[in-house]
Amino acid sequence: MLLRGLTWLVLFQLLGTALNHLFVPVLPGPIIGLLLLLGFLVVRGQVSEPLSQAASGLLRYLPLLLVPPAVGVMVYAADIAADFWAIVGALVLSLLISMAFVGVLMQRLLKNHSHTEERP
Amino acid sequence: MNMQWQGAWESVIHHPLFGIGITLGAYQLVLAAYEKTRWIFLQPVLASMLLVIGVLLSCGLSYAEYRKSTDILSILLGPATVALAVPLYLNLRRIRQLFWPIFTTLVIGGVFATALVVGLAWWFGAEHMVLMTLAPKSVTSPIAMLVAEQIGGVAALAAVFVLITGVIGAICGPALLNLLRVSSPEARGMALGMTAHAVGTSVALQESEECGAFAALAMSLMGVATAVFLPLAVTLVV
Repeated sequence: MLLRGLTWLVLFQLLGTALNHLFVPVLPGPIIGLLLLLGFLVVRGQVSEPLSQAASGLLRYLPLLLVPPAVGVMVYAADIAADFWAIVGALVLSLLISMAFVGVLMQRLLKNHSHTEERP
Repeated sequence: MNMQWQGAWESVIHHPLFGIGITLGAYQLVLAAYEKTRWIFLQPVLASMLLVIGVLLSCGLSYAEYRKSTDILSILLGPATVALAVPLYLNLRRIRQLFWPIFTTLVIGGVFATALVVGLAWWFGAEHMVLMTLAPKSVTSPIAMLVAEQIGGVAALAAVFVLITGVIGAICGPALLNLLRVSSPEARGMALGMTAHAVGTSVALQESEECGAFAALAMSLMGVATAVFLPLAVTLVV
């Protein structure tokens, strides 16, 4: 069951890789695969059991899969040190400002939305 | 005798399985420690990364060798990214009636957040490579890493920026939203998921299930939107 779901995921990723080479070099193959699978699910209207098993199994271990690429940071220690304050400042400030912005914006829009719903 | 010990040690640390071994070990150690302490700084990827780097440095192994021995794990990242379509689809169905508020927030907020971080870093004097790595910092690491590499940044650095963002968001986010009187679970979830991705989503899940669902939705929408539009925007601008 799990293997069949995994085969689907691999198939969509390979399809994405092919499309990446043929038509859309700006989008990475796995992202095209994601969009294709999403389109497929919307058309089909449901997630099959093997696919949902394989997806949740893989996503559970996503943090583990990300460790090796993250370790690559040891190669760039000097670059981070060079721009340390610019990086930290930009990260912290932009996070706080955009989180406040998104929260307030969404709350406003929700209020407007519920007002228009109430009117017949 | 001494020579034999040394030879055995050398053949162990240069064995192709050594990289996978220390990765698995570090990851489980961190997970167990997190279960015990619930300490927010023990983000699995960040803490495991530090442990693995420590082991590599003390054994005198290079990143290239480690990377080669963990190829299997990296190859699985592709299908895992494709698998994100499943939770995204399940969330899409759940909140169809709030489509317009969500869509508007996503477009305006997403553009604003991305432009702001690049603008600030540029103003603070960061170089081009760092700018391109900072741009996708609001989305989950697999997407951020793919996108950063695509637009001329560094995948490994992107993962670190993403984690820092998530941890700061999880620590300051709820208090900040309280301060601004953002009380509806939908808006709080959107804000946490869109700006602080998976870490923000886990905080949102602790607040309420509804808040968590919106955070998961916001995270996956922001991820896909970033993956699709950021490379296009960079190609057009640069």
